[in-house]
Amino acid sequence: MELILNTVRRIDYDQTKEFAFGDTQSLEDHLAIAFLNPKNFKELKLTKDTHIKLANDEGSIILKAIEDENIPDGTILLPVSIWANQLTKVQETEIFYKNIIVNVKAINEPITKYEDIINKIKGD
Amino acid sequence: MKRYTCSGCSLLCDDIMIRSDGLFIDEVIGACLKGKERFDQVTTENRITSPMIRIDNELKKISWEEAMEIVVKIIKDSSNPLLYGFSNSCCGAQSKGIELAQKIDGFIDSNASICQGKVLGMANEYGINLTTITEIINKTDLIILWGANPAETIPRLLNKTLFSRGKFRMTGREIKTLVIIDPVKSASFNVMGVRDIALQIEPGKDIELIQALKDECCQADSIPTEGVAGVDAEDLKRILLHIMGTENGVIFLGQGILKSDKENHLIREILEFIQIINSKQEKGRMGLVMMGGHYNMAGFDHMALSLTGQIGGLQFKDHCLLKGNDSIVKKINSDDFDCSIIVGTDPISHLPYSLSSKLAKKSIILIDNQMTATAELADLILPTAITGIECEGLAFRLDQVPIHLEKIINPPSNVPSDETLLNQIITKLNEKGDR
Repeated sequence: MELILNTVRRIDYDQTKEFAFGDTQSLEDHLAIAFLNPKNFKELKLTKDTHIKLANDEGSIILKAIEDENIPDGTILLPVSIWANQLTKVQETEIFYKNIIVNVKAINEPITKYEDIINKIKGD
Repeated sequence: MKRYTCSGCSLLCDDIMIRSDGLFIDEVIGACLKGKERFDQVTTENRITSPMIRIDNELKKISWEEAMEIVVKIIKDSSNPLLYGFSNSCCGAQSKGIELAQKIDGFIDSNASICQGKVLGMANEYGINLTTITEIINKTDLIILWGANPAETIPRLLNKTLFSRGKFRMTGREIKTLVIIDPVKSASFNVMGVRDIALQIEPGKDIELIQALKDECCQADSIPTEGVAGVDAEDLKRILLHIMGTENGVIFLGQGILKSDKENHLIREILEFIQIINSKQEKGRMGLVMMGGHYNMAGFDHMALSLTGQIGGLQFKDHCLLKGNDSIVKKINSDDFDCSIIVGTDPISHLPYSLSSKLAKKSIILIDNQMTATAELADLILPTAITGIECEGLAFRLDQVPIHLEKIINPPSNVPSDETLLNQIITKLNEKGDR
């Protein structure tokens, strides 16, 4: 299904804090996540053990999905992070961190590892 | 105990009580979670305290002498260097960064150019007076958070502005109305009282909302009965009543506005809306504050303006400033650079993949104090002191007010400040002769 991706800063899911005090595991635990409205969560047939794959023209990532009734129907929220920035867009001189259309589906695969993203950026 | 200013975010709270013997920070009182984290960064395991070079994909410690030789070599081998970051550095370091860019014919830009910097430039075009935190504390009776969630990004902002009792009023929170406009019910919604208004608009519909408010300002009863952008028509009229009746109002523009599609158009619409309000208002005025994240995001444009007469990205050629405003996004996207000097920021994490992958393909010199994704890819890392804790400096608060940051303790391993390090690089380049 298609959802609108917005990136947000949240104090409990803060990239700067994880880099300063955490490790790779805590980065993945706190930032490789997505918040969804319970209605969309149900429509995607998600369970606590399944993950979601988000994809658009820029790339794809697999994240842990979290139900959040404060998220509007049709919207998916990602903490500002290196994961979210695999899907954010650049057009000419502007960066778009919000209102990005992404295709979302349930998937039985592990979340995208931090190391894999770094290797992809490096071009390995 | 002594009172210090916190450099945890752009609010620069100047009421943090700290007990320290000059070697360690023993106690911090009054800081928010972000501020506390800033002070805790001093002793974190992920702190970088010695220069490092990447050899065979592994970071290896080297001496400062070796590091400075390598910096000079990378710069001398470059014909088109890029300098980026500086929002987590004091104004002195920003000034040295501009001096370095001029010396090496580079392009320099700060995080502000992809954040609040463009609003400041546009606000100047419209002639809108920015307001200050002090004025908000003392006078404001209407606070509008538009795409802003200060409860999680600048945690003490609402404490200071919404719950404060101003010098010129005998009343505080009870006469202040809070309006939150956001598609997401954020943590800031939790501070709302009975007279406050929450507008949970449909995502990406800010333009429709602002245009409806502008139209209603100019011609009454122009709001469609079915409402606009998912907001009830009666709520819109209620907001306009507050806006037109305010003695002193402020709109905090957050990242939700700054990072949306067609953002320039949207910001212009908001600025025009404020202009209309202020022209129609007879007893009050509406001000604007931009919610930057990094503690000195506002500083770079002040330094650039005072040193060169221009704000935003600065391109130097033959040691002279070229006219025009390239942006960091355009420079990286068009591969118009051959090495980068990154200061106090993490563009590999913060920029979209299409930009970070291009940045990673060229040599990166990173000046920072902790491990980040950019540090994972940097060719050379030069550690520096944490400003406002381990070295002093000047920073501009989010309302453009300059604040002095004091040194509390000595930095580990005597690492230099950003300003000192950049000055050392300039001196080293001078010793080795011009490029």
